[in-house]
Amino acid sequence: MSDFSYLVQFFFSGLTSGSIYALIAVSLVIVYRASQLICFSQGEFYVFGALIMASLLMKGIPLLAAFLLSLLSSVIMAGFIQYIVIRRLLKKPIGMLIVMTIAISLALRGFALLIWGRESYVVRPFFQVAPLSFVGATLPSQVFLIMGVTALVLLCLWLFFEKTLIGLAMRACAENPDAASLMGINVHRMSLFAWMWGGAIGAISGMVVAPLLFTQYTSGIMPMVKGFIAMSIGGLTGISGAALGGFLLGLTEAFTVGLVSSRFSDAIVFTILIIVLIFKPSGLFARSQ
Amino acid sequence: MNIRRILTNPYLILCLSVLIAPFVFADKSAYVTGVLIFCAVYTILTIGLDLLMGYTGQISVGHASFFAIGAYVSAILTTRYGLSPLGAMASGMVLSGILSWAIGRPVLALKEYYLAMATLAFNEIVISLIIGLEGLTGGASGIRDIPPFAIFGVSFKHHLLYYYLVWLITIFVIVLSRAIVNSPVGRALSAIHGDEIGARAFGIDCTKYKTGIFVIVNVFASLAGSLYAHFIGFIAPDDFQVGTSVSLLVMLYLGGIGTIWGPVIGACFLKILPEITYHFKDYELLVNGLILVFVLIFLPEGLYGTLKKITKRAEG
Amino acid sequence: MLLRLLDTKIPKKTKKIPYSSLTYCENKKKKKGGTIMKRLVCLCSLTAFLVLCILVAPSFSQKTAKGPYVIGGIFPLTGYLSWLGEYKKKGSELKAELINEAGGVDGTPLKLVVYDDQSSPEQAAKIAQRLISKDGAVFLIGTASVPISGAVASIANKEKVPAIIGSGYEVDPKKDKYVFNTAHKTDFAIARPFEYFKKSGMTKVALLMPIGSLGELGSRLARKYAPSYGITIVGEEKFDIKAPDVTAQLAKLKTLNPSAIFSFCTGEPAALVARNMAQLGMKIPLLVSHGNANPGFLRLVKDIDVPILVPSGRATLPNELPDSDPCKKVIIEFSKRHEQKYGEPANYYSAEMVDAVAIIAEVIKRTGSREGEKLVKGIENLKNFVGMQGVYKFSEDDHHGTALEDMMVLTIKDGKWRLLHR
Repeated sequence: MSDFSYLVQFFFSGLTSGSIYALIAVSLVIVYRASQLICFSQGEFYVFGALIMASLLMKGIPLLAAFLLSLLSSVIMAGFIQYIVIRRLLKKPIGMLIVMTIAISLALRGFALLIWGRESYVVRPFFQVAPLSFVGATLPSQVFLIMGVTALVLLCLWLFFEKTLIGLAMRACAENPDAASLMGINVHRMSLFAWMWGGAIGAISGMVVAPLLFTQYTSGIMPMVKGFIAMSIGGLTGISGAALGGFLLGLTEAFTVGLVSSRFSDAIVFTILIIVLIFKPSGLFARSQ
Repeated sequence: MNIRRILTNPYLILCLSVLIAPFVFADKSAYVTGVLIFCAVYTILTIGLDLLMGYTGQISVGHASFFAIGAYVSAILTTRYGLSPLGAMASGMVLSGILSWAIGRPVLALKEYYLAMATLAFNEIVISLIIGLEGLTGGASGIRDIPPFAIFGVSFKHHLLYYYLVWLITIFVIVLSRAIVNSPVGRALSAIHGDEIGARAFGIDCTKYKTGIFVIVNVFASLAGSLYAHFIGFIAPDDFQVGTSVSLLVMLYLGGIGTIWGPVIGACFLKILPEITYHFKDYELLVNGLILVFVLIFLPEGLYGTLKKITKRAEG
Repeated sequence: MLLRLLDTKIPKKTKKIPYSSLTYCENKKKKKGGTIMKRLVCLCSLTAFLVLCILVAPSFSQKTAKGPYVIGGIFPLTGYLSWLGEYKKKGSELKAELINEAGGVDGTPLKLVVYDDQSSPEQAAKIAQRLISKDGAVFLIGTASVPISGAVASIANKEKVPAIIGSGYEVDPKKDKYVFNTAHKTDFAIARPFEYFKKSGMTKVALLMPIGSLGELGSRLARKYAPSYGITIVGEEKFDIKAPDVTAQLAKLKTLNPSAIFSFCTGEPAALVARNMAQLGMKIPLLVSHGNANPGFLRLVKDIDVPILVPSGRATLPNELPDSDPCKKVIIEFSKRHEQKYGEPANYYSAEMVDAVAIIAEVIKRTGSREGEKLVKGIENLKNFVGMQGVYKFSEDDHHGTALEDMMVLTIKDGKWRLLHR
């Protein structure tokens, strides 16, 4: 492998992880924009989506059906949680809501453990296409699917939040629930929607990423951490910023591992993050609000 | 000063409980004092977090960082360089103080969510360095054979002795924290929490106070780390990760933020809970999560807040 | 816009006027009188639940001079090590059952009490203490990682209760007088495959090590044994076990033209390395840790077209053993019962803990004692104990008891294990 080809491989490696981080970051930002809440349970929706699909596939159910069924289950689950738990806490300080989402994620993880046990599950890539090969470096085909889904999600959400009435209502709710309710918007219902969105996108992320990784009841933790970091790099305000943040994180990791040191790559990446936060706190790609 | 107020005085309740606890469970006191020593250590950590988050409004999702630093400095200095535990602990506290002053200034300028991210990142950096610098820290395998704590040659090897020492220190930390909170410094911190710009308009040097409390809180954390290391005799990076920082947050909210006593209850509750729910085996994780959800929904002032409300109401 | 994250101190004066449901208005009314009562009720129900848990639990103190011999099991049942904790638990529980079926130890049954260490050294230390002080354990078994073993070893030595662990932790009898290890020494898991590499002329090995204790161990031992087998370590890269992709590291190693890759990791990370190697077209052998000698791993690497080498003990492939091997009978008989009870044959992980329980029963029988010091001497005097891992030969200087010959190298073909080198 020549010097150039392994540089390209670093790029592809970064693209692979970056696409995963981008999708997760996007789902986190969407929930944030819709509800002003950093939802720590998001990782568990990701895992449930992947695990449900894995189980259905193992039973022989065709891919599309498994995908849709899993999506439906996650949306219902998210809505259920919002209804039973979050609804009561809508008026509480945000710090408490965050801790509540942490508690929920623990309970969900415990639940996943009971249903799926401790083993890891493998999901096949959706399309059996050979990896892309370029000057000796390779990129799995699933990555294109992930990037495609991310772009589609971004598009749908942009349309939703900017162009539809409900989307506008949700944004209003997030920014100022009191004023919104004065305007006749049902805050509870908006919150429910926001959660269901979060559940849906979390599940989609989980399913689309599953072929690249392995799924197990504890698989939700890593994406959360990376998603948050991506969100911070890209800025909380723009959804596209989060996606770009994800790719930037993936590429930075890959190039640090490749060119600098694989032993201290975590330390280096996090130091860069702190520096970014200190000097450009609203994120590298934030629009002025 | 009626009887009821004396009886519900938190200091009294705490001191009495600490004194008699080992004797209530006399036949397995080593186990019970062990659990309670962990409670004390985490209480110190959570109180620090309360000062930082509850009173000054600065979020930290990386409080375990200085816990780790204190523990590792103590471990390294006592096992490799034969320094006395007291000296090692003091060194750890000094180092933590200096480090937090250096990092505090730029990082504390960040707000809320970004501060949370930065503290999380710092925690990860500390862990990454601990694992990376194998030669010094034993890497992921950890450091073993940490000697028991000793003050000027008097060894605290016996579990009962160490238990009282640790709780004595914890009570001291509580007293100190309450003093800070009730002093003009405390009021300045509340002002910063409420509205930083307004506070600045009143002439409060926000940066000085924020950095100051950050230093104090991390020195506490380092102290807790040293006490922990000498008790357990063996440390590894596993127990200082972001997961631990997140547990501290949960302890804080569980007990009741902004009260100093809340953290005491929260930390003890969360450390004792597994000792009760372990019977559930496979269901333990689910049960613990559900208990937390229950408390957060139905007792939103935290355990301490609720207790306070009830006793106040009962009073009149 | 002021995003007040921590509002508790400042009371909210403004009341909301929601447009929506009646229920909200009802709540407002209840607020005044009912809240204290409601809180009190909730607090009481919580306390009642917890007290119930304590009461319903098995009785408090177990420390008696008579009664069953309590063995304390410390296994990771949750956390990142949980998948292997389960195998260990099943194996040890079944063995204890079988021994009790046959009358226990001279009429007295064994009682295996298992707790979850949540893959954390701190939790393991707490459990060890609990098992000793509360449950009256005479022996401890378990611990699945090096740091966890270290934490439990400290307690075992302090409390003078012998522990039989099963991990890569190397026991130095001088420092860890009370600790024994039925897992094969990690050295074997590297020396044996290196023998194979030498035999096959694959002398250039590249290391791709996980960040963590396993990686450190693997790297250190690889460098220690390489010279004696004429192997050159041509390069080393590290990776985060949670990383989604290691093609960057593999690309760097590929330029060094290795004849094989050695990645001392277990489970998902090992499968990821294999998958990425296949993606890059690196069809050279991948040596992974002996921790992968379990059925779960076969599922993970199904359809990956890279030759994978897994060191293992006899328990994974007992049918390939010659009939003259004393361990063969023991393994096959136990595996049959294991299959009957759990629906799957015993594996390499179960074997470690099965042997631990068997050794404990034997030693208690021989010494007739519950005292730590005597039990330790008892184990050290076991010179010919046939177990699933091998024929144990303990001594004052050797708390492992097994030898290089007890390991073999396996590979995977058509989703099944195949013997490669013995």
